[in-house]
Amino acid sequence: MTERTLRVATDVGGTFTDLVAFETGPDGAMRIVTAKSDTTPPDFETGVLNVLAKGGIAPADVDFLAHGTTVVINALTERKGVTVGLITTEGFRDVLEIARGNRPDFFNLHYVKPQPFVPRHLRAEVPGRMTYTGQERTPLDLSALPEIVDRFRDEGVEAVAISLLHGYANPAHEIAALERVRELWDGVSAVASHQITREWREYERTNTAVLSAYVQPVAARYLGRLDDGLKARGLRNSPYIMQSNCGVDSLAAISRTPITMVESGPASGFWGAAELGKLIGEPDILALDIGGTTAKCSLIEAGEVRIMTDYWIERSRKKAGYPIMVPVVDLVEIGNGGGSIAWVDDFGKLHVGPQSAGALPGPAAYGKGGTEATTTDANLWLGRINPEYFCGGEVTADMAAAEAALRGVSERLGVSVDAAAEGIIRIANNNMVNALKLVSLNRGHDTRDFTLLAFGGGGGMHAVALGKELQVRKVVIPNAAAVFSAWGMMMSDLRRDYFVTQLADLAAGASEAIEALFAETEAKAGATFEAEGVDPAQVSFLRFGKFRYQNQEHTTEVPLEGPVTEAALDRIAADFHAAYEKEYTYRLDAPVEMVGIHLVARAEVGKLRMEPAPLGAPDAATALKGRRDVDFALEGVHASDIYDGEKLMPSMALDGPAVIEDPGTTIVVHPGDAARMDAYRNIHITFGEGT
Amino acid sequence: MPDPFTATVIQAGLEAAADEMFEVLRRTAMSPIIYEVLDVGTGVTDAEGRLVSSGAGIPSFVGVLDKSVTAIRARHGDRIAEGDVFVTNDPNHGGVTHLCDIVLAEPVFHDGACVAWVASIAHWSDIGGKVPGSMPADAADIHAEGLRLPMVRLFEAGRRNAALFDIIACNSRQPDVVAGDLWAQVSAGRRAARLIRGLCARYGAGAVRGAIEAALGLGEARARAGLAALPEGRWEIEEPQDTGPPWRAAIENRDGRFTVDLREAPEAVAGPHNTSRDGAVIACQMLFKAVTDPERFANAGSFAPLRVLTRPGSIFEPGPDAAHGYYFETRIRLFDMLWHCLAQAWPGRLPAGHFASIFGTVIAGLHPDTGRRYTMVEPQMGGWGATAARDGIDAMYSTSHGDTFNCPVEIAEARYGLIVEEKALGPRPDAPGAFAGGRGVRTRYRLRAPAMLSSGLSHARVPVWSCRTDVPGGTNRLTVGRRGGARQDHAFVSGLALEPGDGVTVETAFGGAFGTPETGPDGHVSFGPKTG
Repeated sequence: MTERTLRVATDVGGTFTDLVAFETGPDGAMRIVTAKSDTTPPDFETGVLNVLAKGGIAPADVDFLAHGTTVVINALTERKGVTVGLITTEGFRDVLEIARGNRPDFFNLHYVKPQPFVPRHLRAEVPGRMTYTGQERTPLDLSALPEIVDRFRDEGVEAVAISLLHGYANPAHEIAALERVRELWDGVSAVASHQITREWREYERTNTAVLSAYVQPVAARYLGRLDDGLKARGLRNSPYIMQSNCGVDSLAAISRTPITMVESGPASGFWGAAELGKLIGEPDILALDIGGTTAKCSLIEAGEVRIMTDYWIERSRKKAGYPIMVPVVDLVEIGNGGGSIAWVDDFGKLHVGPQSAGALPGPAAYGKGGTEATTTDANLWLGRINPEYFCGGEVTADMAAAEAALRGVSERLGVSVDAAAEGIIRIANNNMVNALKLVSLNRGHDTRDFTLLAFGGGGGMHAVALGKELQVRKVVIPNAAAVFSAWGMMMSDLRRDYFVTQLADLAAGASEAIEALFAETEAKAGATFEAEGVDPAQVSFLRFGKFRYQNQEHTTEVPLEGPVTEAALDRIAADFHAAYEKEYTYRLDAPVEMVGIHLVARAEVGKLRMEPAPLGAPDAATALKGRRDVDFALEGVHASDIYDGEKLMPSMALDGPAVIEDPGTTIVVHPGDAARMDAYRNIHITFGEGT
Repeated sequence: MPDPFTATVIQAGLEAAADEMFEVLRRTAMSPIIYEVLDVGTGVTDAEGRLVSSGAGIPSFVGVLDKSVTAIRARHGDRIAEGDVFVTNDPNHGGVTHLCDIVLAEPVFHDGACVAWVASIAHWSDIGGKVPGSMPADAADIHAEGLRLPMVRLFEAGRRNAALFDIIACNSRQPDVVAGDLWAQVSAGRRAARLIRGLCARYGAGAVRGAIEAALGLGEARARAGLAALPEGRWEIEEPQDTGPPWRAAIENRDGRFTVDLREAPEAVAGPHNTSRDGAVIACQMLFKAVTDPERFANAGSFAPLRVLTRPGSIFEPGPDAAHGYYFETRIRLFDMLWHCLAQAWPGRLPAGHFASIFGTVIAGLHPDTGRRYTMVEPQMGGWGATAARDGIDAMYSTSHGDTFNCPVEIAEARYGLIVEEKALGPRPDAPGAFAGGRGVRTRYRLRAPAMLSSGLSHARVPVWSCRTDVPGGTNRLTVGRRGGARQDHAFVSGLALEPGDGVTVETAFGGAFGTPETGPDGHVSFGPKTG
């Protein structure tokens, strides 16, 4: 490396637009700049330009810019998309409204079903049928299309979605309908289901096409203005956009099917966890992101994130929600963050979340009028967060307000304020432990083989308690944990996940068809990259098969090494049996079936290279800044050393009970545990004997 | 007794155990009715068999498994050992429902003592008997309905009873599928047992028992709080039926006790339309839960104030030879009648009637492309009733179902080798001046290969009840259209031969309408037009 490079991540959230810039000098030393400004709807690009200015970053100096945004998920949840018209197979326009017929809130006789995003009068049908093997049973008849398009125009439709039965198996009818719509309506925003997914299940695929159409004009406008605004100020290359599958994609590609951005927020953090794990020799990671309103977790095995297409929005134990069949990192999210509200129900039971105090009024201790106790208030009360150094010293903690809020909880429970605060921490921790178990133990993974990597503003505060409960190998809190997601964005590859449904018995003679499907999909992926100017030599592939025992429905994904040949079939079957038994405790002597493939195509684009800093002496005395009583909940109150995280240097080590404070986060080190900073400034915490 | 926070943590663990068991079953089962329809229940009971937590799925399976565990304990007593796994499907032997529903239950031990039971129930595609799908509409007694498994050990102290596995496989038309389902249930139980043993190891068996007691107390407190908010009184109902005499019942809510009196029910029938007393109790529990505390949280305490009176020899407490195949239609009719009773008693509190049928539709045969045997077992979605504030919901599964998913057309065509020609909302009911019931669904199947049809449905003749007597709800209908043009409707049918080109059309009812309740000077309540 001979010159300075500047990589920038910008992230547009509901309230704030964040910036993290990584400046790498010729010697590999890295400087991190962060900045924050208000999000500026509807002209979001203004907020991005503002935050660049605030951070002192000139777009012309930027070598690589990655961008994450909640514009898609916000347009969906706030119902701020456009009017969509749907074209579907004759006899099936009500599929979108019938949905799956389920009622998760099953004792409730007053249940209300989610409304479809396209009303019945804008759902049009065309004759023509494919079979499940992709053969044409009835020819497509588009003779009614001119009339349909006219009606859509009259009704104010701004985007058209096309979804035909078995379009995943053979998209010819969808392609023909899409072309005809474009002929009839020049410039209309239109999408067909096969462009987004090649998997079966007509309700899920149709809803995916509809929601993509619903946000497409909004997202295209946003991305176009962002690109123009940045380039007008000298940015040399278009920004890369974060997707839900832990990769970035080009702005041009994302503009066509922006729905792939839907869950991009958490994805970059989990990708960061996978990349950091590889860097520090910890390929098996339980990743936990604790933010203000939610905690999210995901499991990384052998350095790979798990990507799935079973993603739903607005789904809960009360609501059926809406499916979006796009590649999304496999995560569990719970309403349990720093701002989560503690409350006591009518029967005297304490709960934490999912309601959140949000940014306004925020926790009671913000002094902005919040009267309800949050996890943050409990952490302050117990001395885990330093009241003198709240939010990195930017906010004066209103301890009277925190106490009043906690007292409300304690009176309802009939316990002391201290006990109520401890109870809040214990319940919040248990909510997170259960979420972590869902992605690990409950899928056959032994948490003792994993390292817990916790980030986000609240990660360091709770990670050690959670790690001990799960008996993980150790806990790692990354450098700049509060902006770790941005670091993850800097480490992302250009990545596309292709899921294709195709049934095949995993038996002698099957290899040719399976290999052909992979080869065809790889050729298509490679050609798409090449057309976008990516050097084919830079593109690499990962292959997975989705297998099950004959007659089952749900599949187990198995990585496939090398070409699928007859000779390889036995090994593939053996890998499936083993993976299945690991998750479900038994295997069957039954035929194995492939349901489809999952292909990952990726290419590196301007990834950050990390250089280790020289290691120094282990003595951390120079970072010691004081001592105070800290309540560790289960372990009780201990006089604890307080360290300044910014003064800790690689190799320095310290023992719990201790608290490490830096401007973005607080790390709680429990009694008996030991912490050490590595050459990349990550904190590793190991548990003492008998804890 | 653990401190309240520890109790909460343990309770969350017990809920997670039931949920996890459910998730394992969903992912590993081989019968579509398990993994898609989720005709599955999972549960944890305490050592005495009292319900502690239930896995998601359907409300009509909440409160089944405690009855099974209670029966197993009564039969096997102190001979129950660590590592035992019991299996039953017989309503006379702790099975509660019908022979198609297989219950697995195993005790969870810690330090040599039983602390809890984990159990699951799942509907298998075929357990033998006279017709594919094991629900012959003309079964005169239980012996025609398939293999009976009377609370026997599938595993004995951890050792697999291979003979029993062989007997089960040998008695099913789909031995591979039921073996897969059986192992799925075994695996689900192992998962839950491990989680509960983990709680015992972490907190001690005493703390787990204490947390269970606290949870049951909470369930009862919630139920009593809900009950106290409901009007007191005694109400009677008479409900006409598609066939046979009308049914009668009475409900009394007085002094913190909610009594359902079913002693006036008709005699048991020599057909598959009886339900065990336990099954009748479950219908009453579902309604009680819906009116007192409709949250999903449920345990033995949730039903403590409920008392159900039945008469031996009636369809709700039949003799040991009674057939039970279509118990679910009987049970939903019971639920529907009790709901109607309370909707009249408490005007405006409950929605009008829904299509009130499981409408299980079974098509079985050989797949035309693969030659493999298949059994499609699908319940149907229909219209729900209007409420005092809005029109009814379109196209949803019955009240006996819950987080039940319909089979995608694309998967049905691949798996069963038939064609689904249409799946559409039914007609919008005409309800001038009232909130209208929700729409039913019209589904048309076309056969590509010979197959057998079995089905059963309610409200084929008697319309769905309304909260506006001048605007009745719809009816359910099953029509077989022959290739030659002949058409015939059926209500209960089994083993009907279908030929390639034949069509089966399912049309479900729209729901009942709702006007505004008005109380006349004589205290009589009538339903006027909608307001608001």
